[in-house]
Amino acid sequence: MTAQLPILAIAPLLFGAFAVTAGRFLFRRANYAVASLALAASFTASVLLAIQILTQGTAIYFVGGWPPPIGISYVADPLSALMLAFVSGAALCTFLASKAEIETSYPLKNSAFYALFLLAVAGHMGIVITGDAFNLYVLIEVAALSGYAILAQGRERAMLSSLNYLFVGSLGASLYLLGMGYLYIMTGSLNMADLSGIIAQLAPGGLSGSTALAAAWGVILAGLFVKMGLFPFHSWLPGPISFSAAPAAALVAPLTTKVMAYVLVRMIISVFTPDAAWSLPAINTLVLLLATAAILYGSFCALAQRSLRKMLCFILLSEVGYMVGGAFLGNRAGLTGTIYHIFADLLMTLCLFLAASNVERGTGGRFSDMGGLFRRMPVTAAAMVMGGLSMIGVPPFCGFFSKWYLLSGAITAGSYAFAGALVLSSLVNAVLFFRIFEIGFFGTPADRASPSATSGEAAHRHPEPLPFFCDEMPAARLAPLCVVAASLVAMGLLTGEVVRLVVSAVLPPGLG
Amino acid sequence: MPELFAEFGNKFHYYSYFAIMMIGLYAMIAKTNLLKKCIGLGIFQTAIMLFYVSIGAKTGAGIPIIDPAVGTADPAAYANPLPQVLMLTAIVVSVATLGVALALIQNIHRDHGTIEEDEILQRLRGK
Repeated sequence: MTAQLPILAIAPLLFGAFAVTAGRFLFRRANYAVASLALAASFTASVLLAIQILTQGTAIYFVGGWPPPIGISYVADPLSALMLAFVSGAALCTFLASKAEIETSYPLKNSAFYALFLLAVAGHMGIVITGDAFNLYVLIEVAALSGYAILAQGRERAMLSSLNYLFVGSLGASLYLLGMGYLYIMTGSLNMADLSGIIAQLAPGGLSGSTALAAAWGVILAGLFVKMGLFPFHSWLPGPISFSAAPAAALVAPLTTKVMAYVLVRMIISVFTPDAAWSLPAINTLVLLLATAAILYGSFCALAQRSLRKMLCFILLSEVGYMVGGAFLGNRAGLTGTIYHIFADLLMTLCLFLAASNVERGTGGRFSDMGGLFRRMPVTAAAMVMGGLSMIGVPPFCGFFSKWYLLSGAITAGSYAFAGALVLSSLVNAVLFFRIFEIGFFGTPADRASPSATSGEAAHRHPEPLPFFCDEMPAARLAPLCVVAASLVAMGLLTGEVVRLVVSAVLPPGLG
Repeated sequence: MPELFAEFGNKFHYYSYFAIMMIGLYAMIAKTNLLKKCIGLGIFQTAIMLFYVSIGAKTGAGIPIIDPAVGTADPAAYANPLPQVLMLTAIVVSVATLGVALALIQNIHRDHGTIEEDEILQRLRGK
C-alpha cells in the first residue's frame, strides 16, 4: 500500500473527474461530495507520502511497472513530496471554501467545473512528481488546458483574456518542448535522472562547452518564463486571474506560477545540476536583470490598482521575480530562498485570494467598497492582515524567512540591484496592505453611509459611531481560510525543519 | 560558397522548421483575427512536431519493427520510433488546445458578434 502512494495521490482526482462527468445526468446532487471526496483522498495520500518520504528517503515509482528509460517514473523526493501535499491541500481548501461561489458563478455547469477543477489539480500534481521530461510537457498542458476552461467563465472580459492566456501559454509549453528536443538529440534520453548523468558527461566543464546544450537550456528557460509570467512575458497573467470567477482565480493563482517555479528548480537541481545550469554567465546576468525588473514592475503596477484582486495579481508578478532571481544568484542561500519561497508564496497567495473572494462577496472588491471591513467581516479581515504581513515580511510569518534567505543570497552573490529590489518591494507591499487596512478600519461602509444620509429616520436609529454589525461569511468559508492563515505562522516557525529536511536534502552537498 | 551550400544542405530541416515556426509566431503576434491567431499557433506547434520527426529519421533505415532477417544487432537498421511516438502525444495535446480555443472563440463571437480582436477591445472600452 505505501509503495503505491505516489499514484494514489493522483488517481483519485482522475477517477473523480470521470465520476463527476459521468454523474452529471444521474446524481447531480452528489457531485460536490464526490469531488470533495476525491480531493480529500488525494490530500490524505499526499500527506502520508510526504511523511513516508521525509522519514525514509526518496522513493521512485514506475508507472505501470515499466522501469526507465522505457517507462515513466514518478520521483517522490522530499521536495516533490512536500510540494504535492501543498498543492493538494491548497486545492482542497479552495474547493471547500468556494462551494456557494461555484454554484452561483457556474450555473448549470457545476459538474463541468468540478471535473475541470480536479483535472487541473491532477495536472499540477503530476508536474510536481513526474521524473520524465516529456511527460512533464504533457502534464503542463493538462493543467493549463483545464485552467483556461475554468478561467474563461467570469466577467465580460474573462473569455478574451483566457483565450489570450491560451495562446501565450501554449507558446510557452511549445518552447519547452523544443528545448527538450535539443536535449533529446544530445542525450537520447528523457528521464530526468538519466539526463543529468549524460549532460555531466557531455559537458564536464559547463554548458559553454556545448552549443546545443546551451541552446537547449536557453529555450527551456524561455518556455518556463513565458509559462510563469516573468517580466517581459507577463502580460497574460493579470487579465484572466482578475476577470474570472473567484474560485477559479483562487485555484490558479496560487498553483500555476509556483508550480512552474518548481519546474525551474527541478530543471536546475535534477536535470542540469546547479554547476551546469549556472555555468553561462550571460544567461545568469540576463535572468537576474529580468527578475529585478519583474519585482519592480509588479510592485509599482500594484500601487496603481484600485481593486483588491487586480492588486494581488501584480503582487503575484513581483513574487515570480523573487523566485526566479533567487534561483540564478548562483549560491546555496539563493536557491534555498527560492525553494522555501515557492512553499511560502503558495500559502500567502492562497490566503490572500481566499480572503479576497470573501471580501468581494461581502462588500465588493474595489477599495472604495471596503470601508468598515474589520467591523463587518472580522475573521476575513484578520486573515487578510496575516497574509498581508507575511507578504510584507514580518518575522513570525513565513514571508520573512524566504526574504531573509533571498537577501543573504543576493548579498553573498554581490547582486545589490536584486537585493535593493527585494527591499523596495517589501516597502511597497507595506504601503499596499496598510492602505487596505486603513480603509478597512477607518473608512465608512459604503452602503451604511448612504441610507443615513438620505433618510433621517435611519440616521436617527443608527447614530455615529456605527453599532457593531457583523455580516461575516458562513463558517464553511471561514474554516479553510483560518487554516491557511494559521499555516502561515506554522510554516514560519518550522522554517528550520523545512530547510533541514526538504531543502538541504535535495540540494547537492557541495553547493557553495 | 560551397561550404554554405553544404551547411544548408545538411541542416535544411533545421532551417525549414525554424522558418515555419517564425511564420506561425508572426501570425500569432500580427493578426487581429482570433481564428488566424489559432492557425498561427497550429503552425508553430506543427513546426516543432516536424523538428521532432526529422530527428528520428535515418538514411537507409527501415520501420522500427524487429525484422527476423536483420535481427537486433544493428540499431542503425531501424528508424528511431520514439520521436514519432512523442509527437503522436503532442498532436493529441495540440488538438485539445485547438478545441478549447475554438470553443472560447465561439463564445466570444456569441457575446460580441465579431472575432476581430481590435473591434472587441473597442467595444469593451466603449461600455
